[in-house]
Amino acid sequence: METPRPTSQSDFLVNKKRIRVFGLSFDDAIKIFFGGNAVVSIIVLALITYFLFQEGIGFFGQNHRNLLTYRQAGLEYVDFIRTQESGHIALTRYLSDLRLRQYNHYIAEQKMSPAAANEALAKFDEFAAQYGDAVEPIRGMVSDLTEQATAIKTKFLIAEDKKTERQQLLVAGKIDEAAAVKIEAVDFAAELHLLTGILPVYKQTSAEFAKKLDAALAVAPKLSTPELMVRLDRFNQLTHDYLATFPATARSLETWDYTRAVPWYQAISAFLFGREWLTASFWQDWYGIVPLLMGSVMVSLVALVIAVPLGVGAAIYINQIASAQEQRIIKPSIEFISAFPSVVLGFFGIAVLGQSLRWLSQQSWLAWVPGFPFSERLNILTAGCLLALIAVPTIFTLAEDALQNVPKAFKEASFALGATRLQTIIKIVVPASLSGIISAVLLGLGRVIGETMVVLLCAGNRIAIPDFTAGLAVVTQPVHTMTGIIAQEMGEVVRGSIHYRALFVVGIVLFFLSLGINFIAQKIVRKYRISIG
Amino acid sequence: MSPSTRHEFQSPPSAARRWESAALWLFRIATYVILICGAGVFGNIVVKGSKTVFTSTAPFINVAFFTEAPESLYVFEYQGQKREMGDREFRAFKTTHPEAKDIKAESYVYSAGGIFPCIVGTVLLVLGSMMIALTLGVSAAVYLSEYAKQGRAVTLIRLAILNLAGVPSIVFGLFGLGLFVIYLDWNVSLLAGWFTLAFMVLPVVITASEESLKAVPKGFREGSLALGATKWQTIRKNVLPYALPGILTSSILGIARVAGETAPIMFTAAYVVRDKLPWEGLTSVSDFFFQGVMALPYHIYVVSSKIPQNEYTERVQYGTAFVFLVIVALIATCSIVMRNKLRNRYKW
Repeated sequence: METPRPTSQSDFLVNKKRIRVFGLSFDDAIKIFFGGNAVVSIIVLALITYFLFQEGIGFFGQNHRNLLTYRQAGLEYVDFIRTQESGHIALTRYLSDLRLRQYNHYIAEQKMSPAAANEALAKFDEFAAQYGDAVEPIRGMVSDLTEQATAIKTKFLIAEDKKTERQQLLVAGKIDEAAAVKIEAVDFAAELHLLTGILPVYKQTSAEFAKKLDAALAVAPKLSTPELMVRLDRFNQLTHDYLATFPATARSLETWDYTRAVPWYQAISAFLFGREWLTASFWQDWYGIVPLLMGSVMVSLVALVIAVPLGVGAAIYINQIASAQEQRIIKPSIEFISAFPSVVLGFFGIAVLGQSLRWLSQQSWLAWVPGFPFSERLNILTAGCLLALIAVPTIFTLAEDALQNVPKAFKEASFALGATRLQTIIKIVVPASLSGIISAVLLGLGRVIGETMVVLLCAGNRIAIPDFTAGLAVVTQPVHTMTGIIAQEMGEVVRGSIHYRALFVVGIVLFFLSLGINFIAQKIVRKYRISIG
Repeated sequence: MSPSTRHEFQSPPSAARRWESAALWLFRIATYVILICGAGVFGNIVVKGSKTVFTSTAPFINVAFFTEAPESLYVFEYQGQKREMGDREFRAFKTTHPEAKDIKAESYVYSAGGIFPCIVGTVLLVLGSMMIALTLGVSAAVYLSEYAKQGRAVTLIRLAILNLAGVPSIVFGLFGLGLFVIYLDWNVSLLAGWFTLAFMVLPVVITASEESLKAVPKGFREGSLALGATKWQTIRKNVLPYALPGILTSSILGIARVAGETAPIMFTAAYVVRDKLPWEGLTSVSDFFFQGVMALPYHIYVVSSKIPQNEYTERVQYGTAFVFLVIVALIATCSIVMRNKLRNRYKW
């Protein structure tokens, strides 16, 4: 049979056209197009790094100036004395706590009427008043100095503003107008003389203050129980410790010198180790990441403590124990949980969970739980519980994968040796997949630490380092987190201001933290993967 | 595990066995605790939200909630009756009832009206960003699985993808603010939101697409190449068609993520409130891309954090959360179901 020869090229089933543009064939061009798209992920990662740094890096210079102004305008000087004052406030707080305990004792144990209890405490009140009033001269001094220092700072800031104004005019080419901008140079030495001149007066006041405290302690009345007396002795001790800090304060005031330079690294260390995040304050702004980092870490820890046993336990159950039917239903259900949008969970926390937890904490049969009862509806615990729900599907899915990858032969060998199912799971299957499980937990941590909406809505948003002296009860305190602060404050800050840049630096920390967690998770999987033969 | 009938050689349950069943129950309880928690959250929002979304009379769905813009709610007493009115209705009421002019009313922002602009905004954001993410992601996956030879460049790309997947969404938000909103000067706009969200789901799309491409048997490619087809022809005719269902299903999971995220659009695309719908008041085509929109997740954030909780505001809070949760959950369910179906369909 004769087959007709194809008459033209187009009759070939596969037709290759060779068009070359810039020496590239069509196929090469396609390849380059696809390759280019693949490189986008690298470019994006690089761009993220670049823009975070571009917006954030200026923070350190600004923070350095911020700290320098703090010193030059004498704010630092005033804060030495202020610290002394606030030390006294802490002591009076201790004293009022003592009074409350004594009062409760009178009411509950000695069955006194409130009026009688107050009368019995009259002597104590007199002592407390004497103790509390002793600080007045110092307090007055601090408030005077505060005004002076603020005035210097304002003057300086105005001068700085004028300088930038002149700069801008010069750049714009308006030389005459630039010359017309009057800059009042701040003579720090003269201005600060007013502040430092107070030193002799301070020394005298401080000495009198110390005497007054001593005198007050001498008339401290006896309290009714040994337990309270121990506390009173403790208070005596604390006051003596407090008095012992006076010479040091005086010395730092004497040696204080506004011309002492602020080393450049202090701008960084003040951020990394700063214990205060205080913005838009009339006195001095502080940008310390520690309270935010602590908040993020605490919330994540609570979430992991809840999520790891649940997630890993469920993975073991589904992979090793559950029937095929259970598997078919439960696996998609847990995956379904991962689709809950975090903002909806946050709303659930505000609307339902916070109140329920608080209600639960106020039940008398749960009073033994540390931290119960608590009054803050939104706190570490509320946010941690919700974040656990976010972390569980991640941990479950990855841990289940890791368990799945354990060769069947391991399990069969264990059974053949007469091990029970539990023994096989604990001694064979889990150790064999441990690296996968650990990396699942780490990736869960990464997910949780980067989560924004839940912590923004449910963590309580109080910027303070949680009080760890409370023991486990620390989880019932409200905190603020790194992600939360960015989301909350970024909308309100002025672009280019130090506050704006500080938020970007928080973003940088978050970025590298998550990269680090990711990196370790991958390392663990690669390094400790069992060889499956 | 335990046989129902005991035979005479069977030993009585040993301590080890008792331990075992206790421990197995612990695992079982852990699993069901998760499910109960998830069901609890879902159930709470569905039950309370359905009061807003559904009505007891025909057409059984609260049409106004889906078709109107949010407005303030006014609660006041008029002639001994407690009345609740939306902003526009309240103003109309005042004009028709002159004697009610100075009436004292408590107002709750965003608590009346509906969420139509938010739904529209979310749909626009999802469509645009998925278009960008699919184009970039699928081509990147094709390159990685079909063209690339294992080398330093590919290792680097994979590393970048892995790390990109772990970057917190708020950092993407900051990045979008720095690059699109400020540097490129797009302001708070749809376009900025699209790119920010697209880059965020890029790792999901690439990984998913690559997996489906890898699942196409090698023989398909070799057969085509053996017939003299070029690489591109092979990919276009013999690889992509078979991988496409897989790519799409897995990418739906990306859609759920895009729709569900709030943090990246907070500073890049979302407005707290905007009177105009995206297609109203446009003077040129580019205006469409450079406008901010309202979005469901951001609206939930606003109504749950910026207004107090009470019987009047709860309506819109739960209603919005319900609509949003159901949309996202539906998308995710589709993805999960389709993937499970697909696993069984193609067997080579």
